[in-house]
Amino acid sequence: MSTSLKVNGREVSVDAPDDMPLLWVLREQLGLTGTKYGCGIGACGACTVHFDGIAMRSCQLPLASAAGKEVLTIEGFSAEGRHALQQAWLDHDVPQCGYCQSGMIMAAADLLKRTPSPTEAEVRQSISNLCRCGTYPRILAAILDAAGKLRAGQAA
Amino acid sequence: MNGAVTLSRRGLLKAALLAGGAVRFGLLLPGAAHAADEADVEVTSWILIQADGRVVFRIPQSELGQGVTTSLAQLLAEEMDLAWGEFDTEYFDAQINRVRHNVYVHTATLNSWSSDLLFEPMRLAGAQVKAMLLSAAAAQLQVKSEALHIEAGRIQHGASGRTLGFAEVARAAAALPIPPAASVKLKDASQWQLIGQPLARLDTRAKSTGEARYGIDVTLPGMKYAAVRQSPVFGGRLRSFDAGAVMQRAGVIKVVAIQGGPTGYTVPETLWDIIDWQMDDAVAVVADSWWTAQQALDALPITWDEGRHAKADSASIATALDNALQQAGQVMRSEGNVDAALAEAARSVEAEYRYPYLEHAPLEPMNCTARVDAAGVEAWAPTQYADEALRIAAYAARRPLKDVKLHLTMSGGGFGRRLSNDFVSQAVQVAAALPGVPIKLIASREETTRRGYYAPVAAARFKGALDARGQVSAWHSHVVYGRSPVQPYGMSRIPFAIDNVRCEYSSIDSPPPFGWMRVVAHTQSLWMNLGFLGELAAAAGKSSYEMQLALLDEARLARDRVDYDDALARVRRQKTLLETVVQRAGGARHPQAGKGRGIAVTDMSYVPGYRSSCVAMAMDVALDGEGRLQVEKVTAAVDVGLAINPRNVEAQVEGAIAFGLSNALYGQITLRDGRVEQGNFTDYPLLKMMAMPEVEVHILPATGKPSGIGEEATPVAVAALIDAVYAAGGPRVRALPLAAQKLTRRAV
Repeated sequence: MSTSLKVNGREVSVDAPDDMPLLWVLREQLGLTGTKYGCGIGACGACTVHFDGIAMRSCQLPLASAAGKEVLTIEGFSAEGRHALQQAWLDHDVPQCGYCQSGMIMAAADLLKRTPSPTEAEVRQSISNLCRCGTYPRILAAILDAAGKLRAGQAA
Repeated sequence: MNGAVTLSRRGLLKAALLAGGAVRFGLLLPGAAHAADEADVEVTSWILIQADGRVVFRIPQSELGQGVTTSLAQLLAEEMDLAWGEFDTEYFDAQINRVRHNVYVHTATLNSWSSDLLFEPMRLAGAQVKAMLLSAAAAQLQVKSEALHIEAGRIQHGASGRTLGFAEVARAAAALPIPPAASVKLKDASQWQLIGQPLARLDTRAKSTGEARYGIDVTLPGMKYAAVRQSPVFGGRLRSFDAGAVMQRAGVIKVVAIQGGPTGYTVPETLWDIIDWQMDDAVAVVADSWWTAQQALDALPITWDEGRHAKADSASIATALDNALQQAGQVMRSEGNVDAALAEAARSVEAEYRYPYLEHAPLEPMNCTARVDAAGVEAWAPTQYADEALRIAAYAARRPLKDVKLHLTMSGGGFGRRLSNDFVSQAVQVAAALPGVPIKLIASREETTRRGYYAPVAAARFKGALDARGQVSAWHSHVVYGRSPVQPYGMSRIPFAIDNVRCEYSSIDSPPPFGWMRVVAHTQSLWMNLGFLGELAAAAGKSSYEMQLALLDEARLARDRVDYDDALARVRRQKTLLETVVQRAGGARHPQAGKGRGIAVTDMSYVPGYRSSCVAMAMDVALDGEGRLQVEKVTAAVDVGLAINPRNVEAQVEGAIAFGLSNALYGQITLRDGRVEQGNFTDYPLLKMMAMPEVEVHILPATGKPSGIGEEATPVAVAALIDAVYAAGGPRVRALPLAAQKLTRRAV
């Protein structure tokens, strides 16, 4: 039952049941606890990772579906946590409890890749992740801020 | 305990240092547990000095997201003359607090108390350690203490230019007696460098890189995983289970019976006899992965003795509330003659209001990690009350208190849920069945939702009278709560100047155990009180805002009230905030048709003289012809006495508004056949970004000492929302949640 996949740029081989959700493989087998369990049904988004470059909820991905795929988690998202989104998270003091924020950042990164200049309404529609602390106004401001900085960086 | 530490605490610290002031995760590691690294010097219970001279603050509260690590560190750093970030933090140790007789003064994380109750003790602790360090340095340098100061993270002798690092004097300082409080002079507010500043939170970097470790992230060598299920019916008992049905599954290790018992929040020791904090019997499956354990648990045949609540449902609870409303309640407040005023009324109004059970729904599900062996119990818990968690761990393992090591971890939200340490009892009981094996017990989202300690249901009946001039001449309320301790304040502490007031209180015996939720009884009461006041206002041809202002009239307060001074202060303060927020919002009415501006104000006064913050809000909503509601903007004015960190005050107000809106729009726990019908975020929805309004927070200038701000904005948001729906042409809302009813526009 060994499954091979690439996680944060590293080839890994995992011995776990085929139907075990990728979330638990990441957290328990690979020690990548930045990806969180919140609901287990794909509703809250705390487990969001990039799966072959697309933001997906890892609690809904059986391990078998990840064979040969590339998975990016918050731990591998940027060198030293210096991505423009993470800097914007600092500048806007976004997190409260912080439990949802890994998933938020992964979802936001995917949005900005597809839509580099989102409107406020597009951000609101796109980010369906849950934050019980209610940091939404700051998440929104941070995403728009990071989008501007990423565009400016590309233009330079 | 075993010393299988793969990372030294120092190694972790190095990573933390890169980020400047950082939260130490050292206590999460096994083996690094018992007190500090040997090289650390504990100057007092509050402050350690590392071998490299780095200062470590012990935070005597749980970090639930409310920013307490940051705001309390500001207090210590201020008095020690440390620059922001020139220190690390770690959580207090509940065992130290026990053996040192509550040296941390106030550790239960509830009631927005930290900034109030710890404001003096933590500044004093910082000043004491500074005095001890300077005293030790003075002896070493053979100068007077007064000639020394702390600057740039070192002790400086200005006259000679000589300096000493903290590590060079830490041991000598720790050997000195702690100076008595009376001999230590705290800084005057005019000297503050950090208190009152909008400083960045200390934990943001860790929380945006995945490095932050919550309870659910605790990882120990040889650890196994447990999934848990309590009796699905409240008060049910475990009769039997068929372990054989799942033991053949790959990875399954053991099935363990967990005994129900006391689990709740108690002060200062145990009130178990007074409040029936119930955790019911449960079953846990232990496996080599949590997912495997949960799959096996779902397949495990379990027989429950469902007990007396087997047939309970929301309809039977509603009937019990109705029946209680028919009886007279206990009179909690009585002034003037309500019956006579009602009899003489020019107009009178009656209405009934309802509030559902609500689940806290923190995003991190309930969990705890524990290991029980011959040496004792070690537990890692995301709890709001580590002292109680320690007692519960001891009780669950039947070990003496001294043999428990309780590691407080970061929490993924709390909102009151983590005051009930049921998860600690469960994890320790499972660990006790597998001696020496670390067990991480996680309740699934469904289990977390179905076995909550909900804010109780409530129903209230109001009667009010208007006299010939359209003034409110009588106010009569009767509230009935589901099972809970007596908490009449939400209804009885209405601040308004009304001559004839009677507030009655009742409760029923309903199945779910009681739990404190953010804002406690104010959460049910404020919107009911202000909603009914809005009905009286409408009968008098006024807006709710106009009626609130009219009743916050100090000239109308009866002079012979025993609590006159308190009532006067509350009326003045609330009126000031109401007027401020209306001015900031640009008026009391929304300028556009189809939209409404709701206005509300409250403090959180429990008893006369109680210090709390005060919040007023103007909430703008749009309500279309189809009944679709969008909350567009909230303007808030807050008086917190003194904002230790204004940036964090703003964040707390934003978050508390989201909490209130989420509860009022969607929140509802219902019962059928003794079981909770909801289980996950599909049937217990939380507010999403789409529904979150723009928020503008205005903090009033400092007037004195800080008071908490984790809560007040939540009930004000609910009350302002209900008023805004009406102002936008919507119906008079008398029950929550809004999502369960059609918001048809009123015929005009």
